Amino acid sequence: MTIVPLLVDPPDATLIRRFLNGDERAFRELYVRHTPRLKMTVRRLLGRTGPDVDDIVQDTWLAGCRGIHSYRGDATLVAWLTSIAARTTYALLSRRNGRETPLHDDVPEPRAHAPESGIDLERALAALPDHQRVVVVLHDVEGFTHDEIAAHLGMATGTSRATLSRARQALRQALTTGVSNAER
Amino acid sequence: MQNDDRTREELIEYDDDERRLFAELPREEVLTPGDVDRLVRRLRFEGFFRARVNAWRWGLAAAAAIVLFAAGTATGRFAERRNSLDALLARSDLSITDRVLLLQRAGTAYVQAAQSYASATTTIDSGAVEVASRVLMGAAHAVARNGLDAGLSARLTSALQPSVMTPVSAPRKPVIWY
Repeated sequence: MTIVPLLVDPPDATLIRRFLNGDERAFRELYVRHTPRLKMTVRRLLGRTGPDVDDIVQDTWLAGCRGIHSYRGDATLVAWLTSIAARTTYALLSRRNGRETPLHDDVPEPRAHAPESGIDLERALAALPDHQRVVVVLHDVEGFTHDEIAAHLGMATGTSRATLSRARQALRQALTTGVSNAER
Repeated sequence: MQNDDRTREELIEYDDDERRLFAELPREEVLTPGDVDRLVRRLRFEGFFRARVNAWRWGLAAAAAIVLFAAGTATGRFAERRNSLDALLARSDLSITDRVLLLQRAGTAYVQAAQSYASATTTIDSGAVEVASRVLMGAAHAVARNGLDAGLSARLTSALQPSVMTPVSAPRKPVIWY
């Protein structure tokens, strides 16, 4: 994932150190600083809004706090949290798909309006099969590499590549079909 | 870090419009009110945060301790002065029982003072003897004068008065005149 130096004051490392010393205000500042981004990512990974988003965000922070000693600072804190959220979300989706409907590679249904805005892309992403959506979001939106995705989701690197390829085809077809329908 | 194989042949590359759509995706979402409080409660339950003690609370506690200490000291000194022998002797509102106790305390104080003097010196000073004797005598007089001796002084007085008995003369032996 791309590391963007954050020129914020106080820096995350300082807040983390204060949090580890029991400073509640430092934690609240970290939460307010990173949760908006984390929450959007989780919602996009899930492909929907709802209580699951808040639950996963909370679980992510809890897991992050419990394992904060293992955070070495070689990635940004939000990237580290995103990797935790991705694992949590993927596990939830896999459990649900295993219980309800199996993961599939179906192309999303074409829509009847023009995909000319970010909202249309959001809809197209949400319509992707769960594992394709997770890989696309992590790779094309969040900037993770296939190696990182494979490590976080417990899959082979080649599987991540193949999934991304199929997901991009599906996205393009959905967006193009939408444009075609709108032009008719 | 995107140094992977995105340029592989089988992977579709996005065109400019698609890249623009991705770039325009919103990156943040508004926070749900109360979520952070719920999380903080959970983390506090797990022992992540130390108890918050404000500095002003420490100051208040220290001030209260000082006030309590000063009040306790003043109360103790007042009680000590109020129950001293001198203060009790000056009071006129004592009950009969308290006055009996006062007698006992005064006597105990006299005995302790005498023992303390005796243990502090090896040679008895004539002045001390006189003081001790006069105090004891004065106390005895006061006791007798106030009828607190159960008639002991009267009995002693009568016992010590010189008797008016006729001297017992030895029986005269009959003189036998030859």
